[in-house]
Amino acid sequence: MEAQIKTTVPDTSRFQDFWGIFRKNYMGLVGLIMLFIAIFVAVFAPILSPYDPSSTQDVTTSDIYNAPSTSHWLGTDDAGQDVLTNFIFGARVSLTIGFFAAFISLAIGGVLGIVAGFYGGRTEELLMRFTDIMLVIPDLPLMMVIIALTKPSIFNIIIVIGALYWTTTARVVRSQTLAVKSRKFVLRARAIGAGKGHIIRHHILPLVLPILVVQAVLVVSSAVLAESTLSFLGLGDPTALSWGQMLNYAFGRGAMSTGAWWALVVPGFGIVWVVLGLTLLGQGLEQVLNPRLDTHHLMPSRPTVKSEAAQRSSEKSLLEVKNLSINYINEGKQPARAVENISFALKKGELIGLVGESGCGKTTLMLGLLRLLPAAGQIVNGQVYFKDQEITALSDDELNKIRWNGVSIVFQGAMNALNPVRTVGDQIAETIIKHLPDFPKEKIPARVSELLELVGIAAEHKDHYAHQYSGGMRQRAMIAMALACDPEVVIADEPTTALDVMIQAQILELLDDLRKKLGLAIIFVTHDLGVVAEMCDRVLVMYGGVTAEYAEVDAIYNAPKHPYTQELLKAFPDLTKPKKKLSSIPGYPPRLDALPDGCRFAPRCPAAFARCHTEQPILHELSSTHIVSCHLVEASK
Amino acid sequence: MSQQNLLEVRGLKKYFEVGRPSLFSRTVRHVHAVDGVDFNLRKSEVIALVGESGCGKSTLSLLLMGLEDPTEGVITYEGRDITHLNDHERKGLRRKIQMVFQDPYESLNPTQTIEEIVTEPLIVHGFHGTREERNTRVTKAMEDAGLKPAEVYMKRHPHELSGGQRQRVVIASALVLEPEIILADEPVSMLDVSIRAEIINLLAELRITRQIAVIFITHDLGSVGFFADRVAVMYLGRIVEIGTMLDVLERPQHPYTKALLSVIPVPNPRMRRERIILKGETPNPIDLPTGCRFHPRCPVAIATCKAGDPSLITITKTHQAACLLLTK
Repeated sequence: MEAQIKTTVPDTSRFQDFWGIFRKNYMGLVGLIMLFIAIFVAVFAPILSPYDPSSTQDVTTSDIYNAPSTSHWLGTDDAGQDVLTNFIFGARVSLTIGFFAAFISLAIGGVLGIVAGFYGGRTEELLMRFTDIMLVIPDLPLMMVIIALTKPSIFNIIIVIGALYWTTTARVVRSQTLAVKSRKFVLRARAIGAGKGHIIRHHILPLVLPILVVQAVLVVSSAVLAESTLSFLGLGDPTALSWGQMLNYAFGRGAMSTGAWWALVVPGFGIVWVVLGLTLLGQGLEQVLNPRLDTHHLMPSRPTVKSEAAQRSSEKSLLEVKNLSINYINEGKQPARAVENISFALKKGELIGLVGESGCGKTTLMLGLLRLLPAAGQIVNGQVYFKDQEITALSDDELNKIRWNGVSIVFQGAMNALNPVRTVGDQIAETIIKHLPDFPKEKIPARVSELLELVGIAAEHKDHYAHQYSGGMRQRAMIAMALACDPEVVIADEPTTALDVMIQAQILELLDDLRKKLGLAIIFVTHDLGVVAEMCDRVLVMYGGVTAEYAEVDAIYNAPKHPYTQELLKAFPDLTKPKKKLSSIPGYPPRLDALPDGCRFAPRCPAAFARCHTEQPILHELSSTHIVSCHLVEASK
Repeated sequence: MSQQNLLEVRGLKKYFEVGRPSLFSRTVRHVHAVDGVDFNLRKSEVIALVGESGCGKSTLSLLLMGLEDPTEGVITYEGRDITHLNDHERKGLRRKIQMVFQDPYESLNPTQTIEEIVTEPLIVHGFHGTREERNTRVTKAMEDAGLKPAEVYMKRHPHELSGGQRQRVVIASALVLEPEIILADEPVSMLDVSIRAEIINLLAELRITRQIAVIFITHDLGSVGFFADRVAVMYLGRIVEIGTMLDVLERPQHPYTKALLSVIPVPNPRMRRERIILKGETPNPIDLPTGCRFHPRCPVAIATCKAGDPSLITITKTHQAACLLLTK
């Protein structure tokens, strides 16, 4: 009854996790360094600048718009002052205004967004309409009017920018709050008895914060830009020289006509530097906080190691898998051995059950059969044959002829696999057109109706959309789609997992009927031992990427030899013995990137002995139909 | 009403408005999510509420937790009416009834540590005690939930634990308030088969060690087996059959129960049985069928089933079912 104490995951703080990923994001890193340099310059301005900006040294006309020289590295401006000094001190003004204005706008937007998202109803309606109104008012003219009417001081500029730049933040925060609010842990907190304040503080805020950080970076950059614009238009604080104001003075006092490019380029460079740095940082943060799997595109993989063509079993089989091994390439680490040395064969009209817990490699194996693995997945050994063709050696074009026409797949999660904006009939028709280009166009509607009726859906439903279908009907539609090109083999990936028991029974009955009617060979992938007992001919039990046991269905249930099969059966409730106490298998399946040295089941096995922890058992052939990978079998032979 | 009942539910109904059938229609349509449910729960008893999706079992659990307000009916706890309580009164009761959710991946806040998660209920309920007392209580709850030794898990985050361990964390955070009732909504349906039994066994153990009553909500009649004292089968917002575990599993009376039992996979290919596969799916609970609500799908329905709406008929002292055929 005791949970396994060892977990392979090391203790790391969330910050370390974050930094580990962020470090590899060059864009974000560059942005961060650029921002640090700007802040460094602003903070240490008195030390870095060659002159004192407040010194009213004697300025003569010969000092105006001097080109860069050794005494003035970046030249002088219209007042004869050192441009470098003004640039360095300008960073202070620009950044101060940027940061403070952003702080105000984030506070307003964050509070409004959370309140609107969390309380909903009227409150939300009111706040969001107000936000919409603010959003359509053009910021710049409004700011100009307000600043022109008040005294243009740093303080006023900060307040005005802060008060106008919160609308995007409010919208982003609101939608994140809505998403977090609907998650189950918020319901759990309510069930515990937590009040609204507690839920916002402990459950909403920590999950909204990352979004707010990204938003903060972007708002600082727009605030810096807004300040520059205002100053350039002459609405800046005359007592504090910002980059925008330097531009304003240079532009207004003939820098262009005298050819004093440095007076314009230098402050312009400062603005671009800061805005670019912030944008890069913002994008980098967003990529880290909302990672997208950019490696997950489909790429046909062929064996990297060409092994000799294996001896095929003498009996003619439709689909035959020989010693198939698939690795996931893991940059800088050992590859994850997701599937290792799997063999099985399937004849016409046969139904084979592929059983295993989540993470045991059954989905990888299935995708590997048709070379539909994600880019990181590599077939490293073995062959897959479909009739006389070696799938693992075919070109992509040849393989495409087998996909769907010869072997098709019924995917798990029918709701996600159907396109919500096209009718179900259209999608089935599309499958036919794509895979059978020669199929006569005028016969397609009849064929679609025929397919739907074959799976028990009345033909008039073909013009309906997926959301108008119930869960069971969607799964039937997926099966119709898989049958569209008359395949000989159908791979069904957990086709009943999310369904109610009665619908599950209906789908199982349908598959069994189709097998008899059309002579289909079916690979039924499931984690549920009970389901396969009802209809399979043979069962392949997988554990940690390898075959644990492969045998006729009767042997699996009545004479299992592998301890994993035995334990799994004990964990399964049996309605014919309602008083039987269930036992569970202590511990958890291994992670594929941290496999144990010996037998992969050894850490959880009740019968394990010393050898099991050091040596991986080979596949023992007990009879021509019964294969077990366990050292105990060898001892008893 | 007997004194020994911890929880009593009488005529409980919950209708949700779904708008009018047309713009000018005067009648408002309703989803009859829960439509007249009665049952009792005794101290340290395990009752299983079984039904397919759309039968109203999830709404029923929210009603029992006070997270939804019932349209009609009465819920009493230790003889006291708790149907409509204000937030303050409800809070005191929440200590007594705790909930375990279906999806342990979703029901834990990813930013909290396990210690924070298990301590949270104590903070919410203003636990007055020293730091040591609090730690003792948290440690005990975690170890009772099978997270031993507790220190190993305290500083971890949910993503570092497996599904089974996470579900234990949810159970620990329910136990820390020392509840009388745990309402478990499909607590194992998201877990791998090999570790489902350990969560069910844990709940079975708690009723003995802590005298906790369990309401176990599930769609899988097969999983209630040795664990439940009584089983209630729900269909379209009502209990259609209720009895002891053996009454329902071995002597089912309602045609729906019989069909549900017949399609549960038996892990033995030598026992492939005759299955009663019902046609179609549970109708939507907006337009309920007339008469017996099961008659359109019932394999043994007779003409009178279209007219009469059967209530629960007593078969034995412990066993009731709502079917007109039983009156014959």
